[in-house]
Amino acid sequence: MYFVAEVDEKECSKYNCKQCVLFCPEPNCLNFKESGHTAWVWYDRCKGCEICVYVCSDLLKRNCIEMVMVKTGD
Amino acid sequence: MGLEYVKISPGFEKYMPRDYVDLVEFGQFGKEIDVMQMGQFKELVEEHPMCAGCYMAYFIRVFYTALPKPEDTIVLGTAGCARLALSQAAVPFIYGNYGDTNAVASGLKRALSIRFPDKEKDVVVIAGDGGLMDIGFGMTMHSWFRREKFTTIMVDNEVYGNTGGQESGMSPKGIQLKMAPTGKKFDKINAVELAQTAGCVYVARISPTNPKRIAKVIRRAILAARKFGPTFIHAYTSCNIEYSIPTREVLADARQREKKDFKFYEWMTDEVKEYLNEIEKKAKEVKS
Ligand SMILES: Cc1ncc(C[n+]2csc(CCOP(=O)(O)OP(=O)(O)O)c2C)c(N)n1
Ligand code: SF4
Ligand code: SF4
Ligand code: SF4
Ligand SMILES: [Mg+2]
Repeated sequence: MYFVAEVDEKECSKYNCKQCVLFCPEPNCLNFKESGHTAWVWYDRCKGCEICVYVCSDLLKRNCIEMVMVKTGD
Repeated sequence: MGLEYVKISPGFEKYMPRDYVDLVEFGQFGKEIDVMQMGQFKELVEEHPMCAGCYMAYFIRVFYTALPKPEDTIVLGTAGCARLALSQAAVPFIYGNYGDTNAVASGLKRALSIRFPDKEKDVVVIAGDGGLMDIGFGMTMHSWFRREKFTTIMVDNEVYGNTGGQESGMSPKGIQLKMAPTGKKFDKINAVELAQTAGCVYVARISPTNPKRIAKVIRRAILAARKFGPTFIHAYTSCNIEYSIPTREVLADARQREKKDFKFYEWMTDEVKEYLNEIEKKAKEVKS
């Protein structure tokens, strides 16, 4: 079991923002859907560092990212 | 490599790994990519084993996005954390023996300019503070004295991260590290000043708080090295493991350091300034 980031896409799409995508250390882990104007996480690539949560919640006060527990193989 | 080598021969698409097909179809080869498009194209660097929240890994991610011509670039690294990601990218990577990077890069760049006299081939060294300012100090300095035309990027985490926490010449004075428990007795080396004195034509110091600025500095350093001589970037890339930074605070730490000893600094010779102005002006005109 380990933590990964999960974007609340409905909330995120309100902002057309993309900031977390630009600060994640991992390649193609946080991505951006142009169609829905929302960030999304490729869970297999997420190492659970929470830098995106710092960006979205601590810096921007938008609170669209939550850490969720997944099991290997989920 | 060159663009032709990157393309998949017709009929072989279905036998190639998905990640490679994505690279050719949705990647950077042969295109002008802007760093702000991150998250909307297939990046050159793949998954790698660097630690969670490592900002050296982040800097490397932005580095690949910023390459002006990835299909004509060779990256040189060595022992230390960075090579764990550098070896997982779709850009040729050479592993120089620890300390030897700038000697290997000198030979490589000279050989490339003899073999491909009409082409721009970019050579970039990315190595740690230990690799460039301690054990590789002589090789680094002499490549600058000789005015070798390639870029050196020091990813400075102020410690020997890969071997478990020894102090380096770049560790701050007074700092206690796992394998340096009595605290460092000397000041951090002023690498940027050394580079300027030793003959670099473009020098920058940067903390990774602004992807646009990181990309701009990397592009400038590479373009200037093609024509004029050695270029150097000193990047703060924290080691959250050895400095016990909670991963959520890694960017906050980079912002903090930027206000103190990692203030943004950029210097270049007049001819480099003129050359870059010209290129950047043209790029703006094309965009608009
Ligand atoms: C000639 C030689 N001496 C020592 C080592 C052992 N060694 C491997 S990585 C390393 C330190 C790495 O520190 P740094 O260059 O700052 O990179 P970091 O891991 O901090 O990114 C050392 C001493 C080696 N591989 N080769
Ligand atoms: S920082 Fe928050 S609001 Fe902005 S793109 Fe990321 S998840 Fe969406
Ligand atoms: S937790 Fe870290 S690795 Fe995962 S998406 Fe957020 S910034 Fe990226
Ligand atoms: S040991 Fe430090 S520098 Fe090396 S990968 Fe881990 S966090 Fe990054
Ligand atoms: Mg180091």
